[in-house]
Amino acid sequence: MFLNELTKLSGVSGCEFEVRNYIKSKLSEMGCPFYVDKLGNIIAHNKGKKNKTIMVSAHMDEVGLIVTNIDNDGFIKFKAVGGIDQRVLNSKVVVIGENNIPGVIGSKAVHLMTEKERGGSLPIDKLYIDIGTSTKEETEKLVNIGDYAAFKGDYVEFGDNMIKAKALDNRVGCSIILEILKEKLDADFYGVFTVMEEVGLRGAETAAYQLEPDLGIVLEGTVCADMPKVEEHESSTLIGKGAVLSLMDNATVYDINLVRSVAKIAEDNNIAYQYRRSTSGANDAGVIHKAKKGAKVVSISVPCRYIHSSVSVASKNDLMSALKLTKQVIIEKQKGE
Amino acid sequence: MFNSDLMKRLSDCFGPSGREKRIREMIIDEIKNFADEITIDPLGNLIARKKGTGKKILFSAHMDQIGLIITHVDEKGFLRFANVGGLNAKELLGLRMVFDNGLEGVICQEELKDKEKLTTGKLFLDVASTDKEFIVNNFRVGDMCVFKSEYYETKDCVICKAADDRIGCYVLIEALKNHPKTNNDVYYVFSVQEEVGCRGAKTAGYNINPDLAIAVDVTATGDAPDGIKMDVKLGNGAAIKLMDKSIITHTEVKDLLTDIAEKNNIKYQYEILEFGGTDAGPIHTSRDGVPSGVISIPTRNLHTSGEIFNKFDVEECIKLVIGTTAK
Amino acid sequence: MLKEFLFDICSNQFVSGFEHINGDILIKYFKPYTDSFEKDRLGSYIFKSSGSKNTKIMLAAHIDEIGLMVTGILDGGFLSFITVGGFNPASLIAQDVTIYGKEKIFGVIGIKPPHLTSEEERKKPIKTKELYIDTGYTKEKLEKLITIGDIATINREPLSLQGSVISAKALDDRACVAVMLETAKELKKISHKSNVYFTATAQEETGLRGAKTSSYKIAPDIGIVLDVGFGKTPDMPSDSAQLGKGPIVAYGGRLNTKLTKKFVEICKKYNYPMQYEAIPVRTGTDTDALQISRDGIPCILLSIPLRYMHTSVETIDLKDLEITGKAIARFINELDNSDLEEILCF
Repeated sequence: MFLNELTKLSGVSGCEFEVRNYIKSKLSEMGCPFYVDKLGNIIAHNKGKKNKTIMVSAHMDEVGLIVTNIDNDGFIKFKAVGGIDQRVLNSKVVVIGENNIPGVIGSKAVHLMTEKERGGSLPIDKLYIDIGTSTKEETEKLVNIGDYAAFKGDYVEFGDNMIKAKALDNRVGCSIILEILKEKLDADFYGVFTVMEEVGLRGAETAAYQLEPDLGIVLEGTVCADMPKVEEHESSTLIGKGAVLSLMDNATVYDINLVRSVAKIAEDNNIAYQYRRSTSGANDAGVIHKAKKGAKVVSISVPCRYIHSSVSVASKNDLMSALKLTKQVIIEKQKGE
Repeated sequence: MFNSDLMKRLSDCFGPSGREKRIREMIIDEIKNFADEITIDPLGNLIARKKGTGKKILFSAHMDQIGLIITHVDEKGFLRFANVGGLNAKELLGLRMVFDNGLEGVICQEELKDKEKLTTGKLFLDVASTDKEFIVNNFRVGDMCVFKSEYYETKDCVICKAADDRIGCYVLIEALKNHPKTNNDVYYVFSVQEEVGCRGAKTAGYNINPDLAIAVDVTATGDAPDGIKMDVKLGNGAAIKLMDKSIITHTEVKDLLTDIAEKNNIKYQYEILEFGGTDAGPIHTSRDGVPSGVISIPTRNLHTSGEIFNKFDVEECIKLVIGTTAK
Repeated sequence: MLKEFLFDICSNQFVSGFEHINGDILIKYFKPYTDSFEKDRLGSYIFKSSGSKNTKIMLAAHIDEIGLMVTGILDGGFLSFITVGGFNPASLIAQDVTIYGKEKIFGVIGIKPPHLTSEEERKKPIKTKELYIDTGYTKEKLEKLITIGDIATINREPLSLQGSVISAKALDDRACVAVMLETAKELKKISHKSNVYFTATAQEETGLRGAKTSSYKIAPDIGIVLDVGFGKTPDMPSDSAQLGKGPIVAYGGRLNTKLTKKFVEICKKYNYPMQYEAIPVRTGTDTDALQISRDGIPCILLSIPLRYMHTSVETIDLKDLEITGKAIARFINELDNSDLEEILCF
């Protein structure tokens, strides 16, 4: 199962090598033609019945950290790459650079904290990674300015068909595309694995420029805040209630007729779906729909709790729903309107 | 002569960003006998072309208006929403909103401990019904609504909603109807989704790739006690924009518009806006660049249900658009 | 020669959106080292040095500077204005300015004297709309000389400090236009195979606009972006770059890692000093526009350490300019003789 392996790989925005190499090898195994463009996007082509150019995309990158400085005692200073709440960094394990050097982000012993400090978190510029060295020279042998650090976390199946792993945003999307490519549908589409979505939708912009799609289907892991003390109208999506259809976010106002037609496809095929009830955030659809002469876009997402942390959680049922729905949409849209 | 009927119909027509179908159909109906070619692009931009062999000129006015999108429907008839385009919570409290199907609601607020911290998340739309079935059948997540307000005019001015930018559409419609004799290949673009980031203009600009582009949109004025400091006044004519956050008008375009205004006795004023942008923003940086400018209609009370403009200024804007086409 | 070029160009205005006015100065200096010249439709200057191969390398340094735009002519001969590009209004206080109206007009931006200003008022941050340019004319006379929309810049004669350190206004980003000139000179001496486009981009300060349009026009295979970076002073973080220690090489998602590493290799080979920085997301430079132009342009970003950015006393070390200019020329040579496809592939 692709998701298990994908979530073990490091792929911080701007350094997606491990994820890209894994996906390339899987595509080769499947015999699916692909190329890698100038920014590092993988563009795979599933040949089949073609009515229009369809681009199905998911980003390979995850949020993480980048090394900015090594101090005189060998501790490593960093900045966040993508949106990270500094509170999720307390007491964590990370892996740095090409060689995945392990490090920890710790926190002062509670015994030594004042009343005010307890429960609080330091801003990112006051945090550092410890790889177990004691001098600058020792650290510099293993780590350089510009190296990336990714969360380390295991893939665990738990509860009622639930998954916990890091980077479910957006390895869920990547795994769905791989699963569909494996099926070799008789419906033409480009499976695009984009880079740097988390830091400005960069890869999708050049990918869309090359493909000039008529329709973009963007797969994502999306925000789900259905927790105690959060009001229903503030949760955005709910775990277990199915594939998520976006109506509007910061970068895209989705064509309502297109969205309702996808909802109908879900209903006709008994696939559970829900609407994304928040307009915050943005995804690759934002740049795909405005590329060159413009394109129609739709976003199909999997709800993920604790997104952008090392313990993101999703339901296998929702993953299945998103996969089935995406497949059906591709087939339907290549049948011709 | 100011066509009040047309402006009223334009203002009343439902069309928030991304849901421009009605306003687009209304405008097509209005201009279909005057354009050589009418196309709708993938984003929904309406492009009316008057063919020619000379220079390619693009005029752009946006069809969309600001509004709200429903994010949650509860069975008691309290709807939650987010804004579509620039609106903040304090401006919304107490307003009446209307949906495409004609149903209405009023914006109310949750109990607030701290009155200063009013956010959109603390507001809700009360659709005035205790009938659960009625509510669930008529309101869905994803529906949009806009201000409900009446069109009103005095001898020289108009108060209405969505003057931004239905008055720009009005100017282009009137200019198209009075399209002068010219060799120029002119594209009258009624764009979509300007209020959420000038998105339609980006694709229209790329597609058409004109030699000159002029956006027609509203601008603020400095003649009211609201604290905005600008030299622009109602009644002082068409505003030729020099700069805003999205464009520094090409010097040659500024000179061109000034020249046309002077030669045709069109009253004009220069405009510098410290905030905001228009369709000219994405168009002027498309491909290897497009010399661009903006003809603005001075308007007070922007982004409210009662925007105010002056009819004389509108006439001068129409003349300036026609003058540019003819040059 | 670098100093002569900089002193000449920093004494003239190139405010964002108005770069076309003094273009002749640029052309004068770049012409002897390049084959052709054209502009994009936003006003960027593109000087091309042709090569024998098909490879296109674009160098980008922005020519525009931040400035002021007149918004109103007031009683007493005062002008109200807004800024074009990012200014700290505090740096405008007690300055001489030149307003480019029908003729060049001298003006002063001043504030109320200390005798009439309370302690509290002095501590309050000043806003641009509280400042005015004093021209010394009457309103009537002024209206004949100036129109709304005219631009103004702060008067500052370029200044030599100790050693090779100089101070002037708009070294952001003229210092890098000077680097491009240095590279052009070097390449003329040592020759090259790739086509090199020395691009002085317009309107970077107002949104990287010229970078977007010029890169679309040129459609290069790689981009070398040159801008200024933050030089160390007592109030800056301890790991800031230092003047005189060479260009700051950037690592991060917006830059191509292998290409950057290649540049670092060259610098080590020829003993050019360098400093490093890691940029997680936006670089805030023309790179952001170049990287996603058309189907993408792999870029490297080199920054010249500069103190007091966006004030009229920006300070740099000419040594850094020479080092960077020569290093880029050697880098281009190296790329000429390498398999570029191999370097750029993933």
